[in-house]
Amino acid sequence: MIKVNHLKKSFGKNEVLKDINEEFSQGEVVVVIGPSGSGKSTFLRCLNLLEEPSDGEIVFEGTTLTGLNEKDLNQLRQKMGMVFQQFNLFPHKTAKQNLTIAPVKSKGVDKHQADQTAVKLLRQVGLGDKEDAYPASLSGGQQQRVAIARALAMDPDVMLFDEPTSALDPEMVGEVLKVMKDLAQSGMTMVVVTHEMGFAREVADRVLFMDDGYIVESGTPDMIFSNPKNERTQDFLSKVL
Amino acid sequence: MKKGIKGFIALLILFSTLFIPAEPVLAEDGSALQRVQDAGVLVVGTSADFPPFEFYAVVDGERQVVGMDMMIAQKVADDLGVELQIQDIGFDSLLPALEARNVDVVIAGMTPTAERRRSVDFSDIYFQTFQNIMIRAEDEDVYDSLESLSGLTVGVQSGSLQEDLAQQIPDAEIMSLTDLNDLLLALKTNRIEAIVMQGPNAEAHAGHDEDLHTFVGGFELDDDDQGSAIAFRQGEDSLVDAVNESLAEIEEQNLTEEYLAEAGEYMAQAELDEDGEEIEEGFIASYWEYFLDGTLITLLISASAVFFGLILGSLLALMRLSKVFLLKPLATAYVEFVRGTPLLIQVMFIYFASGMFFNLPALTAGIIAVSLNSGAYIAEIIRSGINSVNKGQDEAARSLGMSKNDSMRYIVFPQALKNIWPALGNEFITIIKESSIVSVIGVGELIFQTRVVRSISFQGILPLFITMLIYFALTFSLTKLLNFYEGRMNHD
Ligand SMILES: Nc1ncnc2c1ncn2[C@@H]1O[C@H](COP(=O)(O)OP(=O)(O)O)[C@@H](O)[C@H]1O
Ligand SMILES: [Mg+2]
Repeated sequence: MIKVNHLKKSFGKNEVLKDINEEFSQGEVVVVIGPSGSGKSTFLRCLNLLEEPSDGEIVFEGTTLTGLNEKDLNQLRQKMGMVFQQFNLFPHKTAKQNLTIAPVKSKGVDKHQADQTAVKLLRQVGLGDKEDAYPASLSGGQQQRVAIARALAMDPDVMLFDEPTSALDPEMVGEVLKVMKDLAQSGMTMVVVTHEMGFAREVADRVLFMDDGYIVESGTPDMIFSNPKNERTQDFLSKVL
Repeated sequence: MKKGIKGFIALLILFSTLFIPAEPVLAEDGSALQRVQDAGVLVVGTSADFPPFEFYAVVDGERQVVGMDMMIAQKVADDLGVELQIQDIGFDSLLPALEARNVDVVIAGMTPTAERRRSVDFSDIYFQTFQNIMIRAEDEDVYDSLESLSGLTVGVQSGSLQEDLAQQIPDAEIMSLTDLNDLLLALKTNRIEAIVMQGPNAEAHAGHDEDLHTFVGGFELDDDDQGSAIAFRQGEDSLVDAVNESLAEIEEQNLTEEYLAEAGEYMAQAELDEDGEEIEEGFIASYWEYFLDGTLITLLISASAVFFGLILGSLLALMRLSKVFLLKPLATAYVEFVRGTPLLIQVMFIYFASGMFFNLPALTAGIIAVSLNSGAYIAEIIRSGINSVNKGQDEAARSLGMSKNDSMRYIVFPQALKNIWPALGNEFITIIKESSIVSVIGVGELIFQTRVVRSISFQGILPLFITMLIYFALTFSLTKLLNFYEGRMNHD
């Protein structure tokens, strides 16, 4: 579904991604782990071209995204939902409006239908009673669930998560992970950057370990967690587990 | 300060002449006269705060500039067979307006000094005048000559002949103000001891105010300095000749006396109502229309400037944030230049410079200048507002597949607007207050009308106080309105 060929990304002289080759298939749930600063966010953001790759190509559902014109890129981005560490809900819109603005304004979905979808999705993430609440009145966990629902409202084929629980108070992590687990079980293709090793072990089909701009090791959760081959993976896991 | 502005105007004129084809100054073939007759209208510039020569009075229920000079202007226009159109402009700006072709001639009790002759031509002298000293009535026995004022503070109108004459008072400290009414107020409030004023004008004021007393100053005068003449652009001899013929007739038939008497009636009328009875109604009842007109014009200028300023400001802000070639440096240069120069000069520049090419009404020129000016400030406010919105907002929108424009329009801009609302409110209030600057080109906004009321009512302070209250009412209601909308945008 997404194919990454020789992806490189530099900020000025700082080469953050150094030749990444990877493929994500339909329905797969992949968890990306690795030390802070290793390039995980940059990798994820290159997938939907929020960051422009310096070299290499991203192919999504058969279309090469790199070098695509603005309009077609916008179309394809609609198929790739993204959830941010800092939620990034629109503070001037209610929960429901957060879910309907992009479908109505940029996808041309009928307002009435968008409303119905929004209500259904908010219920799905357990926030059926918060339709008219503004983000500022919601807890962190609730905001992140709205953000997930907002991405789902575009009816995407893949969901990208960048440390979705890192900014949350510990007691709220569970409610967000639960929503993500349900989503995985429904068959959604997911790429998740996270430090929640329990989630990785339980939900992931595959785990990638990134360090210093490379994907150092890739395998099933069992292989990575119980039997890591690379020294750097072992070192990292010994610190976080 | 005033000298500096005059210097700048001179520079401006010099600069603007670069744009127009040099006209032969001496070889004149009747084209000036022809031009006026073709246009069918003679545009006369004056400064209507100078009774009995030019001042406002109500004629047939309408406010008009009247006075001896205006009757001369009417006679000249009649003799030329054209309509008369009067433009009331500040005295300082009259000659620039003439040279910039905003007016055809200047009739404003102007003395043809050697200095002025260097930049404009004059008609024959149509009125011999004398120069007075104005003092407080209570000082009548103290001051009676130039010598008696030695070493004291004396007021004069800036840019006037009197400014030079005041040098003849030994060791006098000189205070120059643009507005005669401010000088009279300064005199009454003991800030200055005397004013050097043109004779008939001083008598007109003293005759209407028992706190004032005036006497003939006994100045040494050049021949040039004793009369009033009409000013023309250099090289328009055919027009000068035609006007001189009318002036000769006026002299022959001794019409100025008749005109002065008529002007005296208008001045008396300022204190009488239509049936000739003394006005007993209050000040506001007599002059509220001036304040209303001024307020409406001020509102019109401010509202237009806010509207066009917002459009221009948004455009400039987007240009400054854009990556398209040249857009950013262009917008930056514009903003820096406009913020780095005084609004006063911008207003004069647009009015006078445009006068060289086409006839832009003063109100339009004023609205354009204030809009162009506020656009630069609003651009900076909007730019900082857009920058103040967290980058994650745009990224979230883009990740949903929204286009750059949609993201700006629906996500970033509404939040920026909320952040900058107080700063925008400040700017709107500034616009209301600063719009008063367009009074220098004769736009009848609130400050301008206040000047008019002060000169016809012979009241110094009360009009100022009323104007202050009106401005406060305007800005305070605007603040309330803005607060209301700010509350509606607040979702935190
Ligand atoms: N916009 C940017 N400009 C410059 N450097 C950046 C930018 N974004 C990330 N980096 C750098 O790239 C490196 C990898 O960052 P990131 O992808 O955020 O790592 P991770 O998510 O694994 O912690 C870091 O050294 C970071 O400083
Ligand atoms: Mg990161």
